[in-house]
Amino acid sequence: MTAALFVQALFAGLTNGFVYALVGLGIAVIFKGSRTVNVVQGEFVVIGALVVVGLLDAAGLPYPVAALAGIVGGLLLGGFTEVAFIRPLIRRRAGEDALLLVSIGLAVAMSAAVLYVAGRGSYLLPAVGGNAVVNLAGATVRVHALFLIASGAALVLGLAWFFRHTMLGLSMMAAAMEPDGATVTGIDTERMRTLTFALGGALGAAAGILVAPLTEVNYQMGLALTLKGFAAAVLGGLANPLGAVAGGILIAMVEAFGIVFIASGYKNVFAMSVLILVMVLLPNGLLGRRARAGG
Amino acid sequence: MRRISCGARRRRVLLLIAGMALSTAGAASAPARAQATSGEPVTIGAILSVTGPVAGVGQPERDGALLAEKIVNASGGVGGRPLKLVIEDDASNPDTAISKATGLIRSTKVRALIGSSNLPSTVAIGGLTDPIRLPQVALSGIGPAVEAKRTCVVHLLAPQELNARAALTYVRDALKAKRVGLLHDSGYGQAVANSLKAVAPEYGVELAQVEKFEIGATDVSAQAAKVKNAGVDVVVIVASSATPFRNVHDLRIGVPVIGSIASSSYDYVRAMGEAAEGVIFPEFLIAEDPLPHQVKFVATFKEAYGRLPKNYEAAGWDAVNLLAKVLAEAGPEADNAAVCAALRKPLRGVLATYDFSAPDMTGLGLSSFSYSQVKNGSFVRLPLPAR
Repeated sequence: MTAALFVQALFAGLTNGFVYALVGLGIAVIFKGSRTVNVVQGEFVVIGALVVVGLLDAAGLPYPVAALAGIVGGLLLGGFTEVAFIRPLIRRRAGEDALLLVSIGLAVAMSAAVLYVAGRGSYLLPAVGGNAVVNLAGATVRVHALFLIASGAALVLGLAWFFRHTMLGLSMMAAAMEPDGATVTGIDTERMRTLTFALGGALGAAAGILVAPLTEVNYQMGLALTLKGFAAAVLGGLANPLGAVAGGILIAMVEAFGIVFIASGYKNVFAMSVLILVMVLLPNGLLGRRARAGG
Repeated sequence: MRRISCGARRRRVLLLIAGMALSTAGAASAPARAQATSGEPVTIGAILSVTGPVAGVGQPERDGALLAEKIVNASGGVGGRPLKLVIEDDASNPDTAISKATGLIRSTKVRALIGSSNLPSTVAIGGLTDPIRLPQVALSGIGPAVEAKRTCVVHLLAPQELNARAALTYVRDALKAKRVGLLHDSGYGQAVANSLKAVAPEYGVELAQVEKFEIGATDVSAQAAKVKNAGVDVVVIVASSATPFRNVHDLRIGVPVIGSIASSSYDYVRAMGEAAEGVIFPEFLIAEDPLPHQVKFVATFKEAYGRLPKNYEAAGWDAVNLLAKVLAEAGPEADNAAVCAALRKPLRGVLATYDFSAPDMTGLGLSSFSYSQVKNGSFVRLPLPAR
């Protein structure tokens, strides 16, 4: 065990942690705003990244413009998903199980659609800082990984501020926690739900754009990302975006340190054991009951 | 000087002119006329993993096989009869392979079967072909012990142990390295890892650090960091994605990287980006610098598809040509046993030189291997290591 290896594991944990966190963030935000579990979150990530790949290749747009377009695309996709598939079910008073089934079906359908449009190949986005690496206390870290960590942190803080200090954010939370009460005060709960999904879609796309330069993105990745993000969100209390971040980082750290200090073959065993242990000891997630209620 | 009568001379000149005219006419229409096939087609089946995780191997095999079918038919078919190749996709899944094989054997009534691209499917199909002694040409290296008992299933790719020996030969003789780091995935990589572990002591090489990751892992930097930390002279990567190569490159370990044949394709090299530069592959076909007996195939493939072929395209090509040759030799009324007997002979294929009468149903030697290194997205032939 050397200091360099420790730092390397730390950064691997942080980089992957923020990826899981961003996906978990999207799931948590959507749950917070609509009480539905969004299995399609991983597909938002994949589609967001591939839209940017397409815009860069086909339209030759400059990178920041393409990235912004990708996020807007994610926003529109999220909103469309809600309007086309979730809203009709809720209007018909469908239960949570029906919504979950539709969500799972949508995830499979979207993955197939991506296969049809983008093919079987894997795609990379250009990285911030290119292939440059920095040496930190003996560990070698990609410049883009540091950018990802910083952007992830900024997004999380921005979201926390949004939900606490803006009228829209507060309305979205109110509509989720108490739909009837919110309607009484003049909040359009259906529109809030659509906006929540739109926000989730935008967050997913942002996650895709941040992770695609490090990890090639392909049509099969969506479900695996959703599962990791879901684990992160559950660990954090499901309706708490900050909790999802904590959960994501915890899972990734356990994986990285497990690989480095115990054995790489058992990576999933560690991560899932920790998840089970935390859920048994803290059933309402890492941040407790208050977080579960959406506080 | 002999005296020839006027009449005889005129006859000779007429014959000469007639002969020249006929041969010119013959030459001009030869492509259209001389190679036409007729009669009942000779049908062979192929089960390839065209979709699914092994599609990177199955699709090139399909391309090579289809081209071979075309060329075989343009050159007279199988004993004058057209060759018909029916390709099915097992989606990299052994259960699908079984159902497709059943269809090909019972309904389509194929004379022989090519398949599959992946080991589990090959073994599954073998369970159907072996009892009826239907000749099968597998596009995977021989695997579990049961396969050696299936004496009508020949293999066109090297057994895992031979792949391991090819890599270790290069490590020991060309790189003069002693400590090897190994990064492998949990699927095909595990089999390779087991072979490497078994054979390494013979080569005086130590597997100093062995790290595993799951197939489709999006980041293996932690495993790569452990390998770097162990202070190795060379890193061997067995993976079906470009991610491990990129992670190893990011860490700037500064030692040579050896990849496995499954990663040596232009698609993978493109996906690896900068990380591909300098990676060494023990493989069979280096299209940029083919061996003499591979030149024609490379040119034919390039003309048909507009790109260079690699190992798996050649394997598909060899499979179809092998069966066409064997079925022509055995004759149209031959039963399975006769075709099988004709199959178990030496063959000089494009991919490698085989001897299917060998106990491992492959008969491939280390001498069939070449070594390449990636430079600027192309493969450059490396000199064979001197013993």
